[in-house]
Amino acid sequence: MRLERLPTLRVNPSEQCTVNYHGKSYQGVAGDTVATALYANGVRVFGRSLKYHRPRGLYSLDGECSNTCMAVDGIPNVRAENTLAKNGMRVAAQNVIGSADFDWMGFMDKADWLMPAGFYYRTLHKPARLWPLALRQVRKAAGLGKISPDFKMKGRFSEIYPTADVCVIGGGPAGMSAALAAAESNLRVILLEARPWLGGCFDYRVSAFDAEKKLFERGRELAARVEAAANIRVFKHAPNVGIYNNNLVTAFQIGPPDGAYDERYIEIRATSVVVATGCIERPLLFENNERPGVMQVGCAHRLARTYGVMPGRRAVFSIGHDMGLEAAIDLCDLGMEIACVADIRDDGQAPDLLMALAERRIPFLKGWVAARTHGAKQVKKVTLRSIEGSVKRQFECDLLVASAGFTPLTGALTMAQARLRYDAHTGYFMPTQLPAKMHVAGTMTGRNHPLSIEASGRLAGLRAAADCGADNADAVTVADTHLGRLPGPERGTKLVTAPVKGRKSFICFDEDTTVKNIKQAIDMGFDVPELIKRFTSAGTGPGQGGIPGHNLPLFTARYQALSGATPLPTVARAPLVPTLVATYAGAHHDMCKRTPLDELQKRDGGVFRRIGVWQRARYFSEDLSCREEVLNVRNNVGMLDGSTLGKFRLHGPDALKALQRVYVGNMAKMSPGKIKYSAMCNEDGCVIDDGVVVKLSENEYYFTTSTARAGETAEWFRYHTRYDGWDYHIVNLTDGLGVVNISGPNARKVLQKVVDADISNEAFPFGGYREFTVQGAIPVRAMRLGFVGELSYELHAPAACMVSLWEILTEAGKEFGIRNFGVEAQNVLRMEKCHIILGVESEQRTNLLDLGLGFLWDRHKTDTKTVGTVALRQAEGDPNHFRLVGIEMENPERAPRDGSIIVDRRIRGYVCTARRSFSLNRAVGMALVEAESAGVGTRLEIFEDECDGRRLAARVVPMPFYDPPGNRMRM
Amino acid sequence: MALTISCPVCGKRNGYEFRYGGEDKGPRPDEKGLTPRTWCDYAHMNACVAGVQKEWWCHKNGCGVWFTIHRNTLTNLEVDGPEVTS
Repeated sequence: MRLERLPTLRVNPSEQCTVNYHGKSYQGVAGDTVATALYANGVRVFGRSLKYHRPRGLYSLDGECSNTCMAVDGIPNVRAENTLAKNGMRVAAQNVIGSADFDWMGFMDKADWLMPAGFYYRTLHKPARLWPLALRQVRKAAGLGKISPDFKMKGRFSEIYPTADVCVIGGGPAGMSAALAAAESNLRVILLEARPWLGGCFDYRVSAFDAEKKLFERGRELAARVEAAANIRVFKHAPNVGIYNNNLVTAFQIGPPDGAYDERYIEIRATSVVVATGCIERPLLFENNERPGVMQVGCAHRLARTYGVMPGRRAVFSIGHDMGLEAAIDLCDLGMEIACVADIRDDGQAPDLLMALAERRIPFLKGWVAARTHGAKQVKKVTLRSIEGSVKRQFECDLLVASAGFTPLTGALTMAQARLRYDAHTGYFMPTQLPAKMHVAGTMTGRNHPLSIEASGRLAGLRAAADCGADNADAVTVADTHLGRLPGPERGTKLVTAPVKGRKSFICFDEDTTVKNIKQAIDMGFDVPELIKRFTSAGTGPGQGGIPGHNLPLFTARYQALSGATPLPTVARAPLVPTLVATYAGAHHDMCKRTPLDELQKRDGGVFRRIGVWQRARYFSEDLSCREEVLNVRNNVGMLDGSTLGKFRLHGPDALKALQRVYVGNMAKMSPGKIKYSAMCNEDGCVIDDGVVVKLSENEYYFTTSTARAGETAEWFRYHTRYDGWDYHIVNLTDGLGVVNISGPNARKVLQKVVDADISNEAFPFGGYREFTVQGAIPVRAMRLGFVGELSYELHAPAACMVSLWEILTEAGKEFGIRNFGVEAQNVLRMEKCHIILGVESEQRTNLLDLGLGFLWDRHKTDTKTVGTVALRQAEGDPNHFRLVGIEMENPERAPRDGSIIVDRRIRGYVCTARRSFSLNRAVGMALVEAESAGVGTRLEIFEDECDGRRLAARVVPMPFYDPPGNRMRM
Repeated sequence: MALTISCPVCGKRNGYEFRYGGEDKGPRPDEKGLTPRTWCDYAHMNACVAGVQKEWWCHKNGCGVWFTIHRNTLTNLEVDGPEVTS
């Protein structure tokens, strides 16, 4: 039974939407939240509370507490009030055994005397053996949502990093006015709004804004202007979750139903920020103040006006501000029976509202307040008392609208390090010192008159524009004067609790903290709200202090009754509203690079693996030992895609100096047409990269780095020469050039068929560098290297030519039976030669000398200040280092897994790479071991996960294992 | 994460784009007569100023240049010069 014709509705009653709650279907309408859809169908109890399993219902409609946290589609702790209902959603109540209505744990409510403030810390630790038992029981009985360890988050997540001149937080009338004012100066403005629409406190109200318009019409008019402004970017349904120094504002946004994302993270860099987050209501504290059927003014009013759901049949109001009177009058006009309106205030009500109450014959009590609700699962009766507690009256009702006053939402301000001070006139925490380029506006400044709200927004917007350099000093003065003529901040109510003891008056709903608990904490000596918050856990739940944030400091100051004690605020921290970790994590992209030969390698049956940033073909056979691939290279000829190799051009008058700085070898001793193998160390002498360098001409060099270092090499060069002001340039050609490695005894025969140069062993010997063309068209830089230990050519060619080059070589090699080999086969081949891969045969502590690469280091090169050489000199002869050794397994059929540890009574080292070698019919590998175990002949015991507690035996042997004289790569 | 840095080539950019290169400690010392102690001080020891310090940054996701800025380590904001201004 919806109110279908209201002009303020934000739902579409003609479009149905079904959610499933505990196995039953509930009809909502398009635009409903989960909570309003259930409420419209008569659901009043939405879940049970953390400790006492008290029934909880709809209270704020803005997700300020955990009352309506539910499990939705398997995700726990979803705030049903903020989550749009979607067809087919599965919803379940939390912390219940049975159902929300009939919870077998309901008796816990009677056990509150067993659980005073801090009982968890104080009672359950002695004796210690009781603790595990208590832990299990507590975990079973308390808590909110549950999540399965196997749960996998579904959904599409995204992220966005916009920049703005002015960022306005809050899309109410003040925020919209601020955005429009700032946009006048042609600045880029971002407006964040938590609800799915703009309008804030104007959106659902039908009181007059001026002679022609009602408030909601004015709200929609402003919204239309904001949406039409080209330089205002509006993020709706995007609550602000954090604000950091330098005006970095974060938010998360819920995507539209058929949008490209479900939720996304927004990180805004703004020059100036306007905070216009408005107010929430300050809960009224009385006995059973969270019984289902008790709700805040805005909640009841918006249920009817925004969602078309009548919140109840017969209501009692216990309020402390004019918005409460306004809501009572409007709900009466919509057909609700109002049993009584009790106002905390003795005076100060707007005369026209009092007149309207009288016209409708609504009983009105000044200086009265709700003291207790009756009814086990839902409000049936309310006891009202006069403020001093002497007189009481009772009313039958099914709805109690209760609100003590307003609370400004200052989370964004405190996060930005603004200092807040209690303001006695409004009763608010107001900023005294705002950070640079931050402004506040709207109801959070205590202004409630619609014109004042807009004027304060306009002024803040103009000031923010001035921060960004707008020349608008005159406009600021005019706006300031205008605001000064309008009604200022209103007096706020000071009442904190009804005249009750407070055993069941809940100051924090999320953590089941009562007024009595707070008194206990204060009596135990916790004297400031921050400490009480931690001891009683009030305000640490999913509502992020929304319910107790204001009442806790007020109550603490009142209870202590110290002269001059002013309430002290507690600090809010990010996230200001509960956010999914998945939203923070953002988009799930597998960002990787593919080589120019990717398609061809796939066609040839390559099995790809992620290696660093690259996708590379690791195997070309089902047999993961790659026997055929390996033997084909040893006996015939194979081809490997080596395009991931880092490739660089270095040129300029000081290029040699730069090389000398980072490479340990003497790079001055290079002759054209020959390659030089060298290594780079870090300041500790530990090897970070190895590769070859070619001198192309005077002041021009070409060099390669390992795949992993390709990204950082340019940065490394520039970092280590940053003080020198040298004239050189480094160009990363890694993606611009591809590499084919053609290896095996028949490699020359294949290559000779397609090149225009003499590549005989005499003309192009081992260690040589040549430039020629393939089939007269493809320019190739060729190096004769021996990484796999056979006759081998590394051909570097422009990425665009790589497919052609590969096809040409494949065609030329057909008669020899050329075939691909993958990264794993290369790994076996080079391991047999004991050629290292950094990061596999080394770790962070491994220096050049440990690897037996000391011959690369030119000790006489002292004036070049080469990186790492000072440390190398100091590390020479240091016995406390792992050494790289060759090992051979005693069982020739069985190689240990890479990374297995070498042990006797303690760990002596670990295996780097070990494989069954088909070329040698032995199981061999390389290992890093302590110096005392590094002697040839030493027996090593290897522990591996799979070996059932038995150890594998190996012996240290000389390196390399295959072709020790190196004849085969020189053929 | 709230830090923004002014790259001399690209202008003021998001701090995510940069790599920190440590305090400004001056050029590499001469290797002649260098004791392990003085070398260790140069390579590994930092002043850890609580206030404004001069430090190196690399615009790694941009133009790739290394440059120095002054940063107030107490506020984590870039400042114009070596004096504490805010």
